[in-house]
Amino acid sequence: MEAMNIDTTFWFFDRISEDNLCLLYNGSFSDEITNKLIELSEYNIHNNVSLKKMKKKASFLMAECFQNIVRHGENIDGQEIDYVDEGFFLTKNWQGIYYITSGNLVENNKISELKRQLEKVNSLSKDELKLLYREVLANQEISDKGGAGLGLIEMARKSGQKLDYFFQNFDDQFSFFYNQIVLKSMEEVFSPNDESPFELKEAIEYHQKMTESNILVIHKGDFSQDAIFPVLKIIEENLQKEKKGAVSKKKIFHILVELLQNISKHCYVENNKKEGIFMIGESEGYFVINTGNLIQNEYVDDLKDHLDKINNLNGKELKDLYLDKLRERNLPKKEGAGIGLIDIARRIISPVNYSILRIDSKKSFLTINVIA
Amino acid sequence: MLTKLEIKSTRDTPFVLFDPENNVFEINGNSLPENTNHFFDPILAWIDNYIKTPNKTTHLICDFEYFNSSSAKMIYNIFLELEKINESKNKIHVTWYYEIGDDLIEEKGLEYKSILNIPFVLKKK
Repeated sequence: MEAMNIDTTFWFFDRISEDNLCLLYNGSFSDEITNKLIELSEYNIHNNVSLKKMKKKASFLMAECFQNIVRHGENIDGQEIDYVDEGFFLTKNWQGIYYITSGNLVENNKISELKRQLEKVNSLSKDELKLLYREVLANQEISDKGGAGLGLIEMARKSGQKLDYFFQNFDDQFSFFYNQIVLKSMEEVFSPNDESPFELKEAIEYHQKMTESNILVIHKGDFSQDAIFPVLKIIEENLQKEKKGAVSKKKIFHILVELLQNISKHCYVENNKKEGIFMIGESEGYFVINTGNLIQNEYVDDLKDHLDKINNLNGKELKDLYLDKLRERNLPKKEGAGIGLIDIARRIISPVNYSILRIDSKKSFLTINVIA
Repeated sequence: MLTKLEIKSTRDTPFVLFDPENNVFEINGNSLPENTNHFFDPILAWIDNYIKTPNKTTHLICDFEYFNSSSAKMIYNIFLELEKINESKNKIHVTWYYEIGDDLIEEKGLEYKSILNIPFVLKKK
């Protein structure tokens, strides 16, 4: 598998930089993880004035997507297969349009039945869907997996659009079933006749790129504590599944906390938001973590000096510097980041790679890349 | 006697119980608040008062699951305040718990031990 590299990072940065928020997840789907994905998406929606109105609808539709992922994914025909609970989830807000995309594995021999159901749902009017919903409620035979039929009907009813779906072959046994819902913040729903600027095939391309490069989470949006927590939990849950020891898990967790809180504490605040981009993936048994955020130009020189300094120190020197910083009293407020970066540098196998790009007279864009 | 200080744990702040009457001093859980000063300043203020008339022996038990680096600094400040008890006839000592295999918390404990003038014992859980 191709390693997650800086090109991959920029491939995604380029594509999502215009988004108001974007959450991409490619991993396993436990209840804990789906809850946190919903929590994070709801938080994102809640913080966006233009999206607030559709919070309830979006939450419902997300939950329905996860139901599909989990229900279709788990324990198919009693077989123990590692990857069946693996899936893809995307929420994205771009110019007032909100996208919810999910991808999950379904057995190839179930595709034709699922397609039949999808086409049936898509062929019905609003009133006919309502009738079908009642019919299915009363007669549970529609799907042997229970909710799939109902779920699809509900998704079509709540979103008010035709279901946009695609099947992508995975292997002899499975295919990915992708589904995308588009919500417009201004009107109640996105009219099926409108051109969607972000098509399902692009979302599928994101998923394929994430899989190729072993990327678990990409998040662009607000990095307040309330947004950081669900991200940490999602990654922690995934770390539990790794074969790595407790040492490594704690270490990764620590590096994540420090990097994400650095964005939250030190980024350039625009419209009351602490915005940044964060990406975590795996490469050759190590975790690769990238962050990007705006900083005030006046901090650039000190930050550069600090990073260059710690990148030139060995383990012993880093420890001594850490202890010195611990003992220093009355640190100026903005220097809080200093001790965190030193502690990160002590636990990674790469230097603290960084780049700083001047945006205008006030702010610059800082990216940090570490491998642990 | 100073009234006890008890703070319930949250998802990002630890449980704190400083109870002079029952001679229990304990801090445990997670510490990664967004604003470290906001959480730790009242604790430091309480200790500042306590060390004026401390118990004969103060035994602080630390049992952290995780703390971030800005909390590390605040935890150090707590120790530094408590260290002042040494200046009187009274005694202060610390027990630092860590899970077997938890290198991060063990290492943090060893670091504090190396820079403090307080009897400091690390214990595996």
